Amino acid sequence: MKPSVEQLGNLLALQRDERPEEGYWQGFLCEFHQTQRERVVEKSGLMNGLGRISAWFSDLGPSKWAYGAGLAYAAVTVAFFLTPRDVEKENTPASPVSYEVVSPPTPPAVEQLNQLDLSPSTQGNIGEQVF
Amino acid sequence: MPLRVCNFSLLLTTPILMFRQTRPPDPDQDLVTRAQQGETRAFDALILKYGDRLYGLVYNMTSHKEDTHDLLQEIFARAYQSLGKFRGNSAFYTWIYQIAVNLTLNFLKKRKRRTSLSLNDMDSPVQQDPALIDTTHEANPEKQTNLNELQIKLNEAMRKLSDPHRMVVTMFDIQGMSHGEIAKVLNTSEGTIRSRLHYAHLQLQSALQDSWEERF
Repeated sequence: MKPSVEQLGNLLALQRDERPEEGYWQGFLCEFHQTQRERVVEKSGLMNGLGRISAWFSDLGPSKWAYGAGLAYAAVTVAFFLTPRDVEKENTPASPVSYEVVSPPTPPAVEQLNQLDLSPSTQGNIGEQVF
Repeated sequence: MPLRVCNFSLLLTTPILMFRQTRPPDPDQDLVTRAQQGETRAFDALILKYGDRLYGLVYNMTSHKEDTHDLLQEIFARAYQSLGKFRGNSAFYTWIYQIAVNLTLNFLKKRKRRTSLSLNDMDSPVQQDPALIDTTHEANPEKQTNLNELQIKLNEAMRKLSDPHRMVVTMFDIQGMSHGEIAKVLNTSEGTIRSRLHYAHLQLQSALQDSWEERF
């Protein structure tokens, strides 16, 4: 005998009151605020670091271009060595393919062509329009 | 002539008015606005207001108190950071509930990949939580023991369900949400929710069959 869906629902509903112990949320809020403060400090520290680097770079004057070029050269070199080489692909053996070449069907002769008036008076000259 | 224009405009607007669903105002609008303006106490109030319900959802999904605590911290942190993007297209509760569902499902996927957590590593809520002891059976300790054993069986069966099925059962049977609300949160159709529930109930009923025969 199986429990009915309603009986099952009643059993499951007993877990509806699942709650943390008393005082849990006070501790939770303290931890939450602590984590948020740490994140703000971390973020501002990162922003300060980036600000300092950009300030130092702009204070360098004309030599910053030399530094920039050096950094770019280093980045390209590192990228070159880190890029994986192409793995040689195995040559798959060629297998002969046989197929029948079907010759294109010959178009039916246009009989009407003979009926066309191709006399010099109606042809006109090349590049000229005859009105 | 102006009358005709007026009629035409009515024809255009009437269907829109007929089919537009009027949503009740969000009861948390004031708290959300204040929190968006940087008032931390307003967000604390939202945590305290919905903490218990989200705790129930996450704990019933993870069956692990520490994981539940860590996940709740992450859920509220994510909501706090994204609060500026919250435009009020849904109620705040629906929005944060969706965050909780998504993060919980992601966490469970990662946990499964990381380690196959033994059933013994998980908490057994019924055994440990005095709130779950049925007071109507206080006078009959034997019946209470039977009920507890049944609950333990039920929890084991719940853990064997797939995450989406367990999520639907948790939301419907434990949290008391309607099919429509669940469909909205999970961004799926009501038909899918009904189908998942039906399948999950069949699984749970089969799992409880032996114990049910013994006890009742």
